[in-house]
Amino acid sequence: MQPMIQVENLTKRYAGVTALNGVSFAVNPGEIVGFLGPNGAGKSTTMRILTGFIPASAGRVQVAGFDVFEDSLEVRRHIGYMPENNPLYVDMRVAEYLKFRAKIKGVPRGERRDRLEEVVKQCGLDEVRNRVIGQLSKGFRQRVGLADALLAEPDLLILDEPTIGLDPVQIRQVRQLIKDLGKRHTILLSSHILPEVEMTCNRVIIIHKGRILASDTPENLVKTLHAGGLINVEVRGPAVEVAAKLRDVAGVAGVETSTGKDEFVRVAVEPQAGTDPREGIFKTVAASGWTLRELARQRTSLEDIFVQVMHDEDEAEEERRESKRGLR
Amino acid sequence: MRNVLALLRRELNAYFASVLGYIVIMFFLVVMGVTFAIVVNYLSTGPKQVTAMKIMFGMFWLPSLVVIPMITMRLLAEEKRAGTLEMLMTAPVTDFQVVFAKYLGAVALYALMWGLTGLYVVILRHFAGESSALDLGPIASGYIGVLVIGQFLIAIGLLTSSLTKNQVAAALMSFAVVFILLIVMNWLSFLFQGGPVSKVVRALSAFEHMEDFARGILDVRPVVYYLSAAAWALFTTTRIVESRKWR
Repeated sequence: MQPMIQVENLTKRYAGVTALNGVSFAVNPGEIVGFLGPNGAGKSTTMRILTGFIPASAGRVQVAGFDVFEDSLEVRRHIGYMPENNPLYVDMRVAEYLKFRAKIKGVPRGERRDRLEEVVKQCGLDEVRNRVIGQLSKGFRQRVGLADALLAEPDLLILDEPTIGLDPVQIRQVRQLIKDLGKRHTILLSSHILPEVEMTCNRVIIIHKGRILASDTPENLVKTLHAGGLINVEVRGPAVEVAAKLRDVAGVAGVETSTGKDEFVRVAVEPQAGTDPREGIFKTVAASGWTLRELARQRTSLEDIFVQVMHDEDEAEEERRESKRGLR
Repeated sequence: MRNVLALLRRELNAYFASVLGYIVIMFFLVVMGVTFAIVVNYLSTGPKQVTAMKIMFGMFWLPSLVVIPMITMRLLAEEKRAGTLEMLMTAPVTDFQVVFAKYLGAVALYALMWGLTGLYVVILRHFAGESSALDLGPIASGYIGVLVIGQFLIAIGLLTSSLTKNQVAAALMSFAVVFILLIVMNWLSFLFQGGPVSKVVRALSAFEHMEDFARGILDVRPVVYYLSAAAWALFTTTRIVESRKWR
């Protein structure tokens, strides 16, 4: 199967600054991929290169099998793009703007009205269709941007920070909309908000300082990077004995106990990588005649991974710098 | 071509969706109206060598100094500032189509403004009577001159608009260029009378060309000069818009 996006060794240098450094990734048709990274990581730069707004300094980028530099116009026909901050002509009315966009996107005259009605319905713009864009709320403007991206029924949607600046209710609506769109389009979206990516995407690419640090499903990232989080156990029993017995359970790497106000002992069990000692813990506690009140695995969120990956990377860089200094 | 038409329509709408289009037209009509009143008043004092419309065409520089920067300053500077250029340039349209449509839009507005002065011709015909029938030939060539010179100044204004994100800066730059092309050239032709410099200055002076057009002389040379200079300006503007790609 031909990938929708194929990026190989993409590098982008602005005067003196390397924004992207040898980035490679592929997106298959039907995927919803989230680009995750702090501000200035290179997300927008990558998207601008994919849409042909700026060229790459080096590397090869193909969208739907077309080279973004050689066949820029053809590539643009396959993409629906919503740039960061969603710039729109604020002096135009919603329907008028969408009609204009449909024309320059080459939607055939006969289909324009149908497409317009469809995206207006899809994005819930009917009540504002005759309002001037400049007077709309941010949520509606965002939906106008999305409607525009959808107009020409593109194979690929590229959405740069689609929920930025929205209130929580609007964020929910936009996320739901993106999820629905994912059924019919390939989507590449960027965000620096983790739950967003975790909720909407089936693959995450973590990018930091112009390099890709990780690329996997949210679940796999959780699995591989944090081989199971801590297990919380609450037991009624003598603290020292509980700790000693739990430490001996197969698959446990370490325990840490703390006592609260009641007679329950709280134990944080660190499992060995790739194991799940919860059953053993239960049996041990039951065999000792103690009462078990809680036995739960702490869910590692993508946020933890994000922070950890970023932290590791920064530390590695610090070390490189240190060693460089040492050489001098 | 379909792209250019769609873009052109958007440009024309933009003039009248904001107050800018109306303000420019109002300014133009006030300046031209007052000038026309003064000219008619002057001519009514007795028989003169010149016709009313010839003086009017000779005054073309006065509104141009303000009108050209005003209708061109927004064109690319505002798209850059608001970020809408990104929307435009990631749609399947070429940079030149965008630039050309903006040029056509501004020229259309300019032509519309001058078209409204056609009313003066109607007024003159009505009141001049049979005795001094208006000669329509020089009037037609005068309008051609206004259009040919104006479209070049608009192309220059568009060029300055592509250089900055700041509309005021764009307006000041195009004012400076229009001022040099019209007024400074005219001073130079006064300063250097006779000699090779004068020949060059006279060949480039819009005042000289307008004088000929208003007299009914349709010379191909200035027409070619202004059209090719505008083509050069549009080409350069396109390259400047593209220059985001080399930085």
